[in-house]
Amino acid sequence: MKQSPIRYAALSALLIFSLAARAAALLTISVETDRDTVEINDNLFLTVTVAGDSASVPEPTLPNMQNFNIYSSGRSQNISIINGKITTTVSFTYILTPRFIGVQTIPAISVFNGREKAISRELQVSVKKPSQQPQAGQQPPKPRPHRPGQAQLGAAQEPQLSLKAETDRRTAYPGEQINLSVKFYTSVPLSSNPQYVQPVFKNLISEDLPPVRTGETEINGTRFAYSEIKTALFALTPGPAEIKPATVIAQIPSEQAVDLSDPNFFQNFMAMSGSQGKSREFSTEDLRLEIKPLPPGAPQNFSGAVGNYAVSASADRGDAKTGEPVNFSVTVAGSGNLKAVTAPPLPEMPDFKVFDTMSSLDVKKEGDLIGGKKTFTYILVPRTEGRHTIPPIKFSFFDPRAGTYSEQQTAPVTLVVQKGEQSGNNVYYNQPGSEGPVAASGTDIRYVSDRTGPDTLTYLAARVSALPLWVHSVPALLLALSFWLARLNRFKSANPLLFRFRRARVEADKDIARADALMKAGSNNEAVSVLYDSFIKYLSDKCGVNVGALTMKKAAELIKERFPGTSDPALAEVRELWAALELRHFSPEAALAEGTADLSHKYSLLLELLEKELKP
Amino acid sequence: MKTLIPLLLLAALAVPAAPAAAYDRSELAEYNDLYKEGHYEEALEGYKKVEAQEPSSPEGYYNAGNALFRLNRPGPAVASYAKAFILDPRSSDIRTNLDFALRQTGQKLAPEGAPMALHYLYYLLSETEIQMMIALLFWLACLAGAARFLLDGSGPGLAAGRAAALSALLLLASVAWLGVRQSSPFNSAGVVVKAGGARMLSGPGENFKTYASAPEGRLVKILDEADDNYYEIGLPREGIKGWALKGEIEQLTFQKGK
Repeated sequence: MKQSPIRYAALSALLIFSLAARAAALLTISVETDRDTVEINDNLFLTVTVAGDSASVPEPTLPNMQNFNIYSSGRSQNISIINGKITTTVSFTYILTPRFIGVQTIPAISVFNGREKAISRELQVSVKKPSQQPQAGQQPPKPRPHRPGQAQLGAAQEPQLSLKAETDRRTAYPGEQINLSVKFYTSVPLSSNPQYVQPVFKNLISEDLPPVRTGETEINGTRFAYSEIKTALFALTPGPAEIKPATVIAQIPSEQAVDLSDPNFFQNFMAMSGSQGKSREFSTEDLRLEIKPLPPGAPQNFSGAVGNYAVSASADRGDAKTGEPVNFSVTVAGSGNLKAVTAPPLPEMPDFKVFDTMSSLDVKKEGDLIGGKKTFTYILVPRTEGRHTIPPIKFSFFDPRAGTYSEQQTAPVTLVVQKGEQSGNNVYYNQPGSEGPVAASGTDIRYVSDRTGPDTLTYLAARVSALPLWVHSVPALLLALSFWLARLNRFKSANPLLFRFRRARVEADKDIARADALMKAGSNNEAVSVLYDSFIKYLSDKCGVNVGALTMKKAAELIKERFPGTSDPALAEVRELWAALELRHFSPEAALAEGTADLSHKYSLLLELLEKELKP
Repeated sequence: MKTLIPLLLLAALAVPAAPAAAYDRSELAEYNDLYKEGHYEEALEGYKKVEAQEPSSPEGYYNAGNALFRLNRPGPAVASYAKAFILDPRSSDIRTNLDFALRQTGQKLAPEGAPMALHYLYYLLSETEIQMMIALLFWLACLAGAARFLLDGSGPGLAAGRAAALSALLLLASVAWLGVRQSSPFNSAGVVVKAGGARMLSGPGENFKTYASAPEGRLVKILDEADDNYYEIGLPREGIKGWALKGEIEQLTFQKGK
């Protein structure tokens, strides 16, 4: 709004800023979809990649998206430790099922690690009607004959919709996977894909099992389209567990007539998306499960892992030096709730200094089975040189299918350690969270200050800026004055006679005043001398020549020559006064008080006259 | 005249060698004890008194910012830290806490990609200090210039002339620096202090449409403050502007002369 020329200078400064190298951000987030266009009856993969400079990065917070049903599809993590600097990249994959046709926006996704916040860009996806074209290589479906007794659902017919939830088992061990299936059946096409609201779980944790399965089935002679959403559940503790009702909100068209015997029923069903209808909500019944306690006889190092796993170990190199960190990884891979798997304890290793563990988790959901791998990375710093063996790492878990505990161990890993620059005993590994950038950002505000009053510079600045503006005009005035004086001096130096000519009267007046003072003091002789000298000097200043060295006659001729306009009476007055002053100057006894005062008066009058006559 | 000039100079620069605090050290220690014990509201009241007694001191604003931050009021905390930063941009504590509070509200003190050294240089002096530097350089340039004229032609006169030219150059550079500082995010700025954010209307009144909201703690540019009840504010990063209630925005200005 307010435009200032100063802003141009500011823009220049900002340009300098922008040309400078960009500092690396500590926390970043990026998002991408596997495609820009998707059909309403299809799914979309959204990958959110979060990178940070610590061993763990937070999970992104997905914004509320009414235009998509969202299911977590897994995660993949990568940790790199180079020269003690840790970089973690985690890719979270989600399956998005569009609910409406048109251009749909995936809002910006944010992630916050307690000190930094990163925000992704928005994405736009075009959701289209399902293609009616048969796929290549497929024969067009033959028309299905209308069955006797099968009703066509018309405008007058009440639509049949239902929601059903069931689990694949009613009893399980803590940590054992239980699959929950929620099926939504409809005999009519819907205005949009229904919205699924996940149930609340008690004593259970859940993992999505995408994608949503769709299909057709016949129940009691009526043809239904169904959508099935599966969720993997893991019980936390022995005792009862509960699945609260799941909810589906569907838009049912008010007036539709669809041939249920049409082989393209499902496509038509989806193609009608976008038409207006009324919203109806369907809920399932509560489901109760019994969670059995784990059987006795657990190995000593059992830490609660349930599933079916294999364990392996490796070092990032076989040769090392004392004091130099080696990344030693133990990987637990298999099926089960890997999130609950904790790091297996390391045996005593006097030859190594062991620093904190970092874990990375890759989750896969194949065949409705939660699995993947979890890698625990230890930083080992060899203390002494020589050939050192890392003993086998033991890992125990409970296999729910077999109903028994199992213990596995890794193969020993051998490292050849040479003498390094550091002894290895006094090494300090730069652990995550203690690096420079983190310290610079701070994890909390700094403490209050107990300093009283501003520092001297701040105080002086406040005092100076509080001074009235006129104070700052003083130096400017001084500058102007000195400039004028300098000019004047130069002019005087260049024109001395002119200045003498101009100042002759002033000087003469001063002399008259001095002579008057002397007369009052009774020094008539001195007063006459002053008047005589003043008169000669006055004439000299006016003529530019020392008239004291001339005779009275020559002086008068000089005055007439210099100032041709001088009148004869004036010259006569000059001669008369000169003679009178000369007489009294050289005959002091004649300089009576009365005569001296008269001379002073005459001199004053003559000055008045000469100022008018002596014009250049 | 010969005696008048030194007298005026003395009058202009007659300041004590060291600043004296308008508030008692024990008073501040008492407020800090309250803060230490977690009585942030009471500590805040004390720090507000310090601000009123010594408005040119950044400590009151800084400590008040800390108390506000502890009270989970990020908007007023950012405003207090920003005021402290305006007064003393070299303070490491103020800079750190302001940056921390800004990051909590999705902002950063240093622009993205800007070298920190340049940012420190940009904020090496407060605007008041730059103004003081401009005033002193102006005095120096004028007095040296006057000496140059008065000592015309002599050796000292030439030296005075060089000093005047150098002072004038530094003066121009300082004026340019002050000009560049006009684009600082803290210049003609305010902070959203309303919990939950400030509504941005399309005009100065409730009959205008709300089309955006500025989150709490956000630094905004105050574009127009002529209206009695509303500021016209701009969000440079988003490139939008609108009108917000004055009570929801705290202006980052200090009363002149204090």
